[in-house]
Amino acid sequence: MAIPPGTYTLGPGDGTLTVRTGKAGAAAKAGHDLVIEVTRWEASLEVGEGSAGRVALTADARSLAVRSGSGGMGSLGDEEKASIAQSIDDDVLKGGTIAFRSSAVEQAPGGLRVQGDLDLLGATRPVAFDLDAGDDGRVTGSIRFKQSDWGIKPFSALFGTLKVADEVEVDVDATLPVE
Amino acid sequence: MVELDHSFSTGKPTDYNWDAILDLDRLIPCVQGGKVVERTSPTAAKAEIKVKMGAMSMTFAGTVEVVEQDDEGHRALLKVKSREVGGQGHANADVAIDLNDGGGTIHTAAQITGKAASMGEGVVVSVLDGLIKDFTQRLGQI
Repeated sequence: MAIPPGTYTLGPGDGTLTVRTGKAGAAAKAGHDLVIEVTRWEASLEVGEGSAGRVALTADARSLAVRSGSGGMGSLGDEEKASIAQSIDDDVLKGGTIAFRSSAVEQAPGGLRVQGDLDLLGATRPVAFDLDAGDDGRVTGSIRFKQSDWGIKPFSALFGTLKVADEVEVDVDATLPVE
Repeated sequence: MVELDHSFSTGKPTDYNWDAILDLDRLIPCVQGGKVVERTSPTAAKAEIKVKMGAMSMTFAGTVEVVEQDDEGHRALLKVKSREVGGQGHANADVAIDLNDGGGTIHTAAQITGKAASMGEGVVVSVLDGLIKDFTQRLGQI
């Protein structure tokens, strides 16, 4: 369904912002596919009558928490999850900027078609995605992109034989607050 | 059995390199994650190596011993025997080091069993190759 006109502010209390990573390299079998939740973020959604609208999101790069890991050698315990979050802080995101701002928002069947600029750690590249809206006010969206396109070197270990895959997926799943 | 050959260059005289590789207190920490636990003789030590795989890690504990030593030819054979801590695996290796002017060659014959080996020989070769290349770079700094 179409999102009703209005201005919405969303955050962790309204849904989840999730990063999904895969693994690569000769020793990929030893690594885990990760589900990582961004625990501090804020998004605003302005939907006008017709085609006008704006979408913006900022996220705290130091708020990523590993929720689960699948595959790999052994299961991830709390200590390993915390260690991964520390590596994200120290070696990958380093507390840098994560911000999206739309440049064009169009009404589309079932939701919105959004184009805009994603700033990751100071590099800005265009991205586009659909925000699907359900009857119950639930909005979902997903984008996939390569870290290297933003100048980010994917995390690697074990002498470069075990790497986080360059392409990552970011999903948002939230319920629009009732005005 | 996995066999690998590497060469290294330190830019230092052969006599200096010879003393360095026979000094296990200096040599063992050149292996990333490696440390001497206890010296048991002038030519042997108890040692362990922690191999980090991102957040996960495996630790092998065992012995390193210089079993052959040709002072004139500057050739040494080191025997590594280790067992995975908390696991069933082993990592054993014969490491033959042959020095020449300003560097040398390393021939490694390794036998890895257990969880690490279950990833396949290709993975074991890639990781060992990375480990030894890193080792040869550190050798140049001792």
